Amino acid sequence: MTELIKTPRAGETLPVTAGKRTNPLANVFDELVRFAQSRSLFMLHYCTGCGAIELPPAMTSRFDMERLGIQPMVSPRQADILLVTGYVSVKTLKRVILTYEQMGSPKYVIGICSCTVNGGMYWQSYATAKKLNDYMPVDIYIAGCMPRPEAVIAGLRELMENIRQGKADSWKDYYRHYDHYLGHQQRLFGETWQTPTDVISEARHYGLFGPDTLGTHTALLEQHQKPLEALEMKVDIPELTARR
Amino acid sequence: MTSLDHLLLVSALTLALMLLFGRTRIAGRLAVALYGVQFLLLMQTGALLGEPVASSLTVSVLDLPMHWRYDALSWFFAMITIGAGFFCAWYAAGVWQERYREQGHSPRLFHVALAANVLTMLILLGSGDLLSLFIGWELVSWASFLLMAVGGGPAGRAALRYLVYAFSGGMAILAGLMLIYTQTGSLEYTRVLTLFGELSDARVWTLLLLIGGGFAVKMGLLPFHLWQAAAYAETPGPGSSFLGAISARMGLYALILLLVAMVGIGRLTAMEVPFTFLSARDLIAWIAALTVIIPTYIALQQHDARYLLAWHGIGQGGYMLLGLMVGNAVGSAGGLFHVFTYGITQAALLMAVFAVVYRTGTADLNKLGGLVARMPLTFLVLLFGIISLAGLPPMAGFVSKWMVYRSLVAEGMPLLFVAAVVGTLGTILSVYKLIHNIFLGQLRIEHEQVREAPLSMLLPMLGLSTLIFLVGLMPGPALSWVAAVQTSLGLPPVPYTLGGIEDPRGGLDMLWLVGILMAGFGVGALIFFGLGGKSKRVHQLDNYAGGHFLTADVRYQYSDNFYAGLMHLIGPWYRGAFLWLEKALTATVAFISAVTNGLYRYAQPALFVLATAVALLALTTA
Ligand code: SF4
Repeated sequence: MTELIKTPRAGETLPVTAGKRTNPLANVFDELVRFAQSRSLFMLHYCTGCGAIELPPAMTSRFDMERLGIQPMVSPRQADILLVTGYVSVKTLKRVILTYEQMGSPKYVIGICSCTVNGGMYWQSYATAKKLNDYMPVDIYIAGCMPRPEAVIAGLRELMENIRQGKADSWKDYYRHYDHYLGHQQRLFGETWQTPTDVISEARHYGLFGPDTLGTHTALLEQHQKPLEALEMKVDIPELTARR
Repeated sequence: MTSLDHLLLVSALTLALMLLFGRTRIAGRLAVALYGVQFLLLMQTGALLGEPVASSLTVSVLDLPMHWRYDALSWFFAMITIGAGFFCAWYAAGVWQERYREQGHSPRLFHVALAANVLTMLILLGSGDLLSLFIGWELVSWASFLLMAVGGGPAGRAALRYLVYAFSGGMAILAGLMLIYTQTGSLEYTRVLTLFGELSDARVWTLLLLIGGGFAVKMGLLPFHLWQAAAYAETPGPGSSFLGAISARMGLYALILLLVAMVGIGRLTAMEVPFTFLSARDLIAWIAALTVIIPTYIALQQHDARYLLAWHGIGQGGYMLLGLMVGNAVGSAGGLFHVFTYGITQAALLMAVFAVVYRTGTADLNKLGGLVARMPLTFLVLLFGIISLAGLPPMAGFVSKWMVYRSLVAEGMPLLFVAAVVGTLGTILSVYKLIHNIFLGQLRIEHEQVREAPLSMLLPMLGLSTLIFLVGLMPGPALSWVAAVQTSLGLPPVPYTLGGIEDPRGGLDMLWLVGILMAGFGVGALIFFGLGGKSKRVHQLDNYAGGHFLTADVRYQYSDNFYAGLMHLIGPWYRGAFLWLEKALTATVAFISAVTNGLYRYAQPALFVLATAVALLALTTA
């Protein structure tokens, strides 16, 4: 789990939050579910920068990540992992955030390449977002310019291990500290920034509403947010409704 | 007066009342009541299980007596005919009729055409000899022409095209009947039956080609399938449902009489097609299989929901003939049963499509989408219908198609089985296109305010859907009719039970099958909700488009050129084959006319007329 602002560093021990149940049977069940989850990962590779070029060898016969149970998926609704493969320009970042919000929980973000860690060689670029972690919670960074397929696979295995141990739950962070992430997004995209997903009500829906979900930035969002009501299915037979 | 007379008289009375009162508001409801009475009268004839019921009406033409009687086969088809008339009149009786009037059409003409169709079909189904069969046949042809032409416009043009086909078919049949008459001096079924036993193979072939070809035109059997889709699709709403549900089957009814009752499957199997290793039965079965495949894949290409369904109507006729050509208990039962299951399916499907047309004004599959949120009940009707049409459990269409497949496998016809499965694949693909492009995906801005279909149209649709499901769940009662028909045709009857068929080599019990299916859904639901499954509805613009932000004015559901990839693969192949076939036909006709023209105009006309006359005389006296 990533702490706010702070980027996880190698060798750092992360606090374990899961597995605190008293019923031993429930523990076994949780273990089983987490094991199953870690062994069936579908990833959406949003190929933003040059690092994407390392994915084809990692996926195809030479390194073959499918043997680990990791497969590509075409739509965010069914995907578990969002791969951001390199520098993200301001324009691209909007799309990455939209895509991230459309993914169903639990979801994991992997930042590949140095550019996602701190801007890399685009540090001075006016058009590039420096730290991916500012805009969405990142589970694993795979540094390098660019990292080799072995490194990519090592990173994915690390993520699998984290999922199995119940440590990879940074997605909850997005709901609990939405105001923080939204603040960074507004800093970059302007005050009128809005995605179709209503993260706040989703946080309530999943029971992940925290004290830091709302704040000054969400207040700003609510001022201009255009509500997007889901399309209601309605049975509206004229004769019956007229008689009522 | 026999019970059959009562039925025919009430049917004629319906026609007369529609002529008189068709203009009034109650015309529709009156028609529904009268079809209901006809249905009850048909139930009382007892023609299904007992002896054939004769009509007291007999007419003699040129010393040839004509008479009418109902046996199990007639009863079976008449039941579907009156049922289809009942549901279609019900659909038309309310607001549909008012809208039709507002559009400047005449509801009276429509009701008259529908009543005339039912009456003429009842007459045709009762034919007791070949002459009354022919007269009934012509009556039905003209009645369906009336129903097709009442709409005017493109429907009128399609109807004229139909007329050309119907004429040539009718002439071929007449020629065949004349050949039979010269041989026997009578057109009674019993005499014809013995005649077919005595005739040489070559003569039976000639009769098969003439009479069978004429009947095949009406059925839309390959290669006479080109007229039907346009004519049926352009007919106004309930009329189209009626034509699709039963009119298209009149050709099949006549073919059953000819192929199964008169010539017999055994004879067909014994007849060799010259220069090949096929028997006549194989040939007909393969024509039926191609009739399944080719129109189904043409349906896949259609961008108009009505045309898509009308093309399927032709293809499904192929399954019926295919099942009958297998000739064993299960296969022929499957073919006959499919007439019933497909009739209710097609009527429900076309009604649903026309309800969408009623609300949105278009059946263009590229201009619809997302309507499930506005017309959920119509969606449900269409969903039931397409599951049945594609032949998937638990709907009625599954049972009849399963029987056809099973008989093909059990009788050792694997290639025909593969052909049937290829046809079903095409059906599944095209019905997916149908439901996706109308009901799923993005709701268009102009359809935001669309409402559910009016009650008067919704009720018959829901009634048919219920029937589709119930017949799928318990096919037994309907199969008992089929078994009676088989007995009267001299085929082995199907061993039916309440839930399906009983067979040591593998039966079918829909009660169990549906039960297991529902249990599967139940377990799934239990797991989902038991584990606290949560779902959340999202806005339709909260959709993935490669990360792009969607706005309401951007179309992100591309239904245009659906199945482009598949069309790229198979398109040229069959499109080429069709162009070739049509060109070959036109070229042949052009060649013959050029030759005759040349002889007649430029050579010595008198000599050729003389030569032809001598040749004809020599032929007839020989
Ligand atoms: S880290 Fe290097 S390889 Fe990766 S996106 Fe940045 S510049 Fe490209």
